[in-house]
Amino acid sequence: MNQILLITDGGSNVGDSPVIAAAQAYADGIVVNVAGVVDEGSIGEYGATEIAEIARAGGGMSRIVSSRQLSQTVQMMTRQTVVGTIQQAVNQELRHLLGVDSVAALPPSKRAEVVQVMEDLGETATLRVALLIDASASMKPKLSAVSEAIRDLALSLQSRAGDSAVAVFHFPGDSDREPCVMDASWMDSTARIEALFGRIRMRGTTPTGPALLRVVEFFRETCGKIMSEPVQPSSPNRRDDTDGVRSDYVV
Amino acid sequence: MITSSEKQQLPPGTILSGKWNGRSYRVEKLLGIGSNGQVYLVGSGRSTYALKIGNETAELQAEANVLASLDRRERGRPPFLLDVDDAAVGGREASFYVMQYVPGVPVRSYLRQHGEQWFGVIGYRLLKRLAELHAAGWAFGDLKNDNILVGSYGRVALVDFGGMTAMGRGVRQFTEIYDRGYWAAGTRTADPGYDWFAFAVLWIHVLDGKRLMNLTRTLLPQNRHPRELLALVRTNAALKPMEPWIERALEGRFRDTDEARELWRAQLQAAQGVKGGEAARVPGWMKGLFALSALLCASAAAFWLLK
Repeated sequence: MNQILLITDGGSNVGDSPVIAAAQAYADGIVVNVAGVVDEGSIGEYGATEIAEIARAGGGMSRIVSSRQLSQTVQMMTRQTVVGTIQQAVNQELRHLLGVDSVAALPPSKRAEVVQVMEDLGETATLRVALLIDASASMKPKLSAVSEAIRDLALSLQSRAGDSAVAVFHFPGDSDREPCVMDASWMDSTARIEALFGRIRMRGTTPTGPALLRVVEFFRETCGKIMSEPVQPSSPNRRDDTDGVRSDYVV
Repeated sequence: MITSSEKQQLPPGTILSGKWNGRSYRVEKLLGIGSNGQVYLVGSGRSTYALKIGNETAELQAEANVLASLDRRERGRPPFLLDVDDAAVGGREASFYVMQYVPGVPVRSYLRQHGEQWFGVIGYRLLKRLAELHAAGWAFGDLKNDNILVGSYGRVALVDFGGMTAMGRGVRQFTEIYDRGYWAAGTRTADPGYDWFAFAVLWIHVLDGKRLMNLTRTLLPQNRHPRELLALVRTNAALKPMEPWIERALEGRFRDTDEARELWRAQLQAAQGVKGGEAARVPGWMKGLFALSALLCASAAAFWLLK
């Protein structure tokens, strides 16, 4: 299972449309989630719409949160996406084999077995999450929260029974030809993350689209042929994923 | 954070009719709100039960699976899980499962009503319950004040099994201030040590909640460390005597949960000895209570074995 998690605080302003880039990612089997971080003021209508659109095109979910909530939001989105991906695959099988729409349509005794299988899949499947961090100037005060969220996510992923990996990118890159920079490739240790952001040079532009495409390319290069596009979600429960009310994270 | 549809509470008197198994339940009152559903006290016939209802069918089923697996493993007691079904609520279908109703109050409220000196017995019983779960291959995961109900004479019951995780897997649900990972003291992989850590934080939370909350608010993420928790323990009169035990728990240094329990008891006795004169009256009945609980335990075991 492959995911991209975009952490940003506003709209893109350079290069290709990030919405199209996210659609491209989803076509390659990578779900795109977006966390919009806003501490003061608002993200603006343009930014908020774009964030929601990127997630929708990327088959994922979006949330607009404060730095304090970032850590748990990132965890929740990652986990919900795993559950959602498996649920989709399982529902498809159920439709195919039994002609029912979802797990909920099965009698509880059958449901128990299917859910058991889903839990096992969710825990043991290989999971790769590429984090794409907006490092434009306005993000500077939020970077410590971002770094904490990454550390926390890596910790949870390491605790899974299945293989997990995290890669970290930030954008914009150092030159105009380079939309984003890789800070860490698939790594199994969290130790390096603390040091990651020391090197980042904050610059003005926000080439979200080109950066997203670059990360999709990275998936292609490192993970070989990626699985084909997941079936378009038709179940109503995925549609409300962007409205900010689902969560299974308890505080 | 809960689903908007879950914010709506079911009014008392609502009848939930099971679609598959045909049993129906009458809502009496709301007991609590969990991460993926609400728990109600319900009546059916002349009995009362606890019923958890929500829209996340798969998640509720996963919790029911855990209860069912505990019931299979721990035969000889009344089952926890009594029914799993769906019901129409306000035109939408929701899933629910029905459990034994456990009367009781969270640890903190219990100590407020009956006195802090109860914490030893409650802790001891809790470790005993955790030892059973661990022996069955599970970590409880989301151990916290709200999930531990204390009944008469310090009897404890764990409720809300949403965090219960098979050993070796990532803990399914946790609460930040109780989480070993949050305090940079280890992974979130389910193992006995994960519960010991939360158990130690529980007592800090229960006996010195204000300072713990203040600490979590003010501490920078990079400074989170178990030594910060120990600093609280050292400067709290009720916790100080338990410091050696708490330190071991935070560092995961017990062979198993039975050892943790034995050492808890030994530490309590040592603490009582230190207090001397003023507390002389307390150890007497405390010991009596221990003897009684041991006797109860032995007779329950004998009963169970003979059966």
